[in-house]
Amino acid sequence: MGSKTDDVTLSAAAIPADDFAAMRAENLARWPTGAEVDLEEAVEFHKSLPEHKQLGWVMRQAVREGRCLTQPRGGFGTLELQLELMRALDRDGMADIVPTTTDSYTRNEQWTQAETGIEESKRQGRSMLNGFPMVNYGPRETRKLIEAIGKPAIVLSGTAMPRLTCEIGFAAGYSGYLGSGIAYTTSYTKNTSIAEGIRNYQYLDRLAALYLEHGVELHRRQPGFLTGTNVPPSIAITVAVLDTLLAAGQGVRNYGLELGQTLHLIQDSAAIRVCGELAQEYLAAAGFDDMFTPVTSLHWMGAWPQDDAQAAALVSYGGTLAAVGGAVSVTTKSTHEAYGIPTPEANAEGLRTTRMAIYLARHIRLDDLPEFKAEVDLIRREAKPVIDKVLEMGDGDAAQGAVKALEAGVLDIPWSPNRFVKSRVMPARDADGYLRIYDPADMPIPKDVMAVHEEGLKKRAEAEGVAYDRDLAVKSVYEISEPLDRLLPFPWAAE
Amino acid sequence: MNTDENPKRGDITLVTGVIGADTHIVGNRILSLGLEEAGFKVVTLGALTPADEFVKAALETAADGIMVSSLYGQGELDCRGFRDLCIEAGLEGILLYIGGNLVVGKQDWDSVEKRYKEMGFDRVFANGTRVEEVVEILDKDFAARKKPARKKAGT
Repeated sequence: MGSKTDDVTLSAAAIPADDFAAMRAENLARWPTGAEVDLEEAVEFHKSLPEHKQLGWVMRQAVREGRCLTQPRGGFGTLELQLELMRALDRDGMADIVPTTTDSYTRNEQWTQAETGIEESKRQGRSMLNGFPMVNYGPRETRKLIEAIGKPAIVLSGTAMPRLTCEIGFAAGYSGYLGSGIAYTTSYTKNTSIAEGIRNYQYLDRLAALYLEHGVELHRRQPGFLTGTNVPPSIAITVAVLDTLLAAGQGVRNYGLELGQTLHLIQDSAAIRVCGELAQEYLAAAGFDDMFTPVTSLHWMGAWPQDDAQAAALVSYGGTLAAVGGAVSVTTKSTHEAYGIPTPEANAEGLRTTRMAIYLARHIRLDDLPEFKAEVDLIRREAKPVIDKVLEMGDGDAAQGAVKALEAGVLDIPWSPNRFVKSRVMPARDADGYLRIYDPADMPIPKDVMAVHEEGLKKRAEAEGVAYDRDLAVKSVYEISEPLDRLLPFPWAAE
Repeated sequence: MNTDENPKRGDITLVTGVIGADTHIVGNRILSLGLEEAGFKVVTLGALTPADEFVKAALETAADGIMVSSLYGQGELDCRGFRDLCIEAGLEGILLYIGGNLVVGKQDWDSVEKRYKEMGFDRVFANGTRVEEVVEILDKDFAARKKPARKKAGT
């Protein structure tokens, strides 16, 4: 497995077929269910699925028909609970894409602990795990989930260690897989080096490419939402572009980009637009002209309000943001988000609320709005200098560039738990609700762009009568979760 | 320290971290910053911290309290036997706080609090608790003890 000492040999080049075969054999031997993985059999199974259960096809068709698809997140600790959940999301929630979130032990390759979690869940009659332990169940058992639904299924596994889970997931019949080397390593790990995380995802991308060589186009997806905490669009897009180049290098051709919502209609629409455009521009510059990069929008990833009514507004508005922004799909949450994992009923309700919002907004676009054009321009001017500098630091190699740039802080991620990330960049929400950068730390964001950010943030500090300091950033973390009487009280009440 | 006076925050060492396989660092980082600003000595272990690392750090730094965060729902599995680990390490009287989304899904808070108190936590906080409130309760709890939970061994 990738180690911290071999950073120098890291590159964006495709893993040679012989090396990859050896890596797979070693990987599959790490847990008993790995022996059940049979690529030829899995390929035949994928080919036997109708098109509408293959996410690669479904994403392309959504673009052809101008649809915004819905997909929730969800996973429970046993096969029985997971079956019930996926059926509920498919039927009651009308999910267009059905998810399986893995539990956090699985994400960290702690399969022995996951086994305990399964047993405890069975004993207590409720899920003690925050997701489905796919590796423990193995591909044969897990395939029952695919067979129980009438939609394509995607694996959601917030991890820098996807090697075994991706083998099991694809072999079971999942046609989508969310996760990428730079994004998840900087967002879901503490001690994993960026190089190691990139290598782990190069394995996953290489595996997806191997399926493609056998005629099965799987949908890979990049989690541009990163740490989910006030990530400015330019930083999300920068990482998305770099991860896209890495996936392209391994041979992936169906690669979604998933942006977290800032909750500003204009900024989110602009972000979706720029993300798709910049991905294609940098792909073209690197010689890739046939990669499909649909953009997904993800409901608010920061702290949620505990009040059901307030949360319902975020769910519904999240559908509006995705539809108006022209996202190809939206990843949904529910009114239970402040409390953690939702029940199947609440999750299905979140899907339907979002779906109705999409319907209502179906033909609204902001293309000609001056503020939209200005924001598109601003995000481009913010992201491009950073992407260019990262690639320059890697002599054109995205993998090398990402490692060096994160180490130097040229690329920085807000609120990252990873010790290889400086995480000094500080975002905050400005007076008009745009997510801006209070302190860019060592990121090479042009002065004239920063001036726009500062202006909005200073306006906020002034309006609220508080100091222009880092507290703006901390307050912005909690803001959306505050009760309504603090966010928007009746202003004329007697003292 | 004069044992007749309430302990000064500067004499109190607190270990903070997110337990288990959980990466939710934001609230814990804000808590750590807030505790530092309030004057406590803070040892930050960050995300993805196994239970035994909390205990090890508390031993090494002669800490008076451990502040555990858990946001991802699996805290119930991660925190089992936490108090026992502390006792085995000789940290009998150490103050244990936990806060966050402590179970899978939306459950009755009283039963959640009870479960964690039975596991040996002195205080159990719901998600969304602000730093100021925690500081206030820390002051109260340490004042009630009149001295930090442990003598500063070797200092």
